[in-house]
Amino acid sequence: MSEEDNKPNINETIIKLEGLSKRFGYGDATSYALKNFDLEVKRGEFIMIMGPSGCGKTTLLNIIGLLDTASAGTYFLNDEPVNRIPARRQARLRAKKIGFIFQNFNLIPNLSIIENVALPLVYSGYHKTRRLIKASEALARFNMKEKEYYLPFQLSGGQQQRAAIARAIVAHPEIILADEPTGNLDSRSSLVVMEELQRIHSEGNTIIMVTHNPNLTHYATRVIYMLDGSIDKDIKTVKDSDLPVPVERKTPKKIFKSRKKSAKKSKKRSKK
Amino acid sequence: MALLLRTHYDLAKTSIKRNRTRSFLTCLGISIGVASIILILSLMGSISTLVSKQVEQIGSNLIVVRPTSTLSTVDSIVNELTTSTQYLKSNLALKDVKTIEEVEGVDAVAPLAVSVNTLKGETGNEVPSATIVGTNAEFFKIQNLSLKNGAFLREDAETPTAVIGQKLAGTLFGTAEPVGKTITLLGKRFIIIGVLNEINDPINFNNIDLDNTFFVCASVLNSIDNSLQIQQINVRTENTDTLKETSKQIRESLEVSKAGDTNFTVLAGDEITHPAGSLFNIISGILTVVAGISLVVGGIGIMNIMLVAVAERTHEIGIRKAIGATTSNIMLQFLFESLILSIFGGILGLILGYGLSFLLCLITPFNPYISVKIVAITFGVSLVTGLIFGLYPALKAAHKNPINSLKFWG
Repeated sequence: MSEEDNKPNINETIIKLEGLSKRFGYGDATSYALKNFDLEVKRGEFIMIMGPSGCGKTTLLNIIGLLDTASAGTYFLNDEPVNRIPARRQARLRAKKIGFIFQNFNLIPNLSIIENVALPLVYSGYHKTRRLIKASEALARFNMKEKEYYLPFQLSGGQQQRAAIARAIVAHPEIILADEPTGNLDSRSSLVVMEELQRIHSEGNTIIMVTHNPNLTHYATRVIYMLDGSIDKDIKTVKDSDLPVPVERKTPKKIFKSRKKSAKKSKKRSKK
Repeated sequence: MALLLRTHYDLAKTSIKRNRTRSFLTCLGISIGVASIILILSLMGSISTLVSKQVEQIGSNLIVVRPTSTLSTVDSIVNELTTSTQYLKSNLALKDVKTIEEVEGVDAVAPLAVSVNTLKGETGNEVPSATIVGTNAEFFKIQNLSLKNGAFLREDAETPTAVIGQKLAGTLFGTAEPVGKTITLLGKRFIIIGVLNEINDPINFNNIDLDNTFFVCASVLNSIDNSLQIQQINVRTENTDTLKETSKQIRESLEVSKAGDTNFTVLAGDEITHPAGSLFNIISGILTVVAGISLVVGGIGIMNIMLVAVAERTHEIGIRKAIGATTSNIMLQFLFESLILSIFGGILGLILGYGLSFLLCLITPFNPYISVKIVAITFGVSLVTGLIFGLYPALKAAHKNPINSLKFWG
């Protein structure tokens, strides 16, 4: 396999929803959170989902994040139908490919910030030292290095949300799902958080964010307005071809391979 | 796998540390249960060691004849305990000793006529309820007893003589060397001709504390005490191989000489200590069950605490599941917590149990019995308790719905 094949396709569809429905209750009490919902998400998109309360935004996010299952329809994640993925692998996908950011931060109160950030790595099979190094690196990206050993309650809302974003990106996921990440923050902290998300997006990450704040839509490459479980309006502000290119991250294996290659090259050169 | 288990162990340790007092109290519940089991097992072990040591000491060529028919059933043992058999008239007599002596293969025969009476030393010291044993010279040979000084009893002695235990010598004369001094029993003066070496073995198949006993010849005792009762006849055979055969012959000879009276028991080898052993087994079995109940109570304590922990940490479970924890990850995390609690409780119980058995040994003649088996049992029992009582809370935590859990704020 050539190196070209390994590079992710910029316009590749990462998420595809076909006729997705989510039903609650039975009989006369049946209500639909999602109704025949179709959506295609390209790698590198920053989608903002807007709409009134109860229109199914959070349900959609939960289904995309593999926390919930649809009542009908098919969800393809990287071309693989999710309903065929066993629960155990779905959990592993949540740990490695999906990052969650919640409105109320959802940091574990008794764990230090660094331990909270390192949590997804616990379930990805990282050794403790490696976990803490990676978590520390992630926190450093958000200028939170000096707060590593603070407990969540010792931080401001904005700082807690930045720590939560660090937790979401620590395992370098393909998709970041944010459920009203600025909902509990003041305008200044919201701005900081949105700037961070934009930075993450510019590195080629796919972000799907639910928000009520129309002032934030300028950060997105696509804005979806939902109404009664369906798409009301779908506006793309950036062409697919202009979406940011994912930054290739070097895993220890890749680093080892590249070092081996360069060593071979230098050997050849010295022979010549 | 090892890394995952290590991670679960670390997570469980962190959660336990978070609630130190609560965790310690839960451990204490388990440790009380384990401690009582240890105490009973240790006592049981020390007594069985004592009993088996006796069997070894007596040798395998000993036969004991007792006046009542003894069965090793639960009923007969309970009957023995509840009936005051010691006040019943024994149907063994001195003539039975002669009958046994005539049986082929018998090497030595010694009667044991045990009574309680007042002894008076020549210095004026009195022992009001001393154990008086009427026997013969063979008794010391059969029991392999050694003398501190003096000589054993002689039946052909012209004057009444006696041998005494070392502790009794101390009580009566204030010295362990009273050879040549006299003791008065029932108005008759006995000259002490020997003092036994200290044995320190109050629990034995003879049911007498040899260190506190006054030995005289059975024939002499019979002449001054008409109500002489023989509680036991000890017999040593010439050959260990013919032990069963000899004991059968003794039974048959006694039946003939006693005109068909079968109200006596002939016990050989291991059978001698058997009634005491089985009685102890019943008691220790009952006690272990009682201790087991306290362990179950401790286990319920673990389950209760773990259920509280699951309820308190529902939101945390939701977060963990959202960021990639599988059902088994959550289950193992909570199961590890209950296992750590129970194992720690077990270790605490082991220390507590042995501490108590050491204390008990200060006031009882038993030595504390420590064995790898008991430690392994403790470890196993606490592990199983933690596993059984921790499984339900762990499963409950593992199967929580992540969306509902995230909405839950305890």
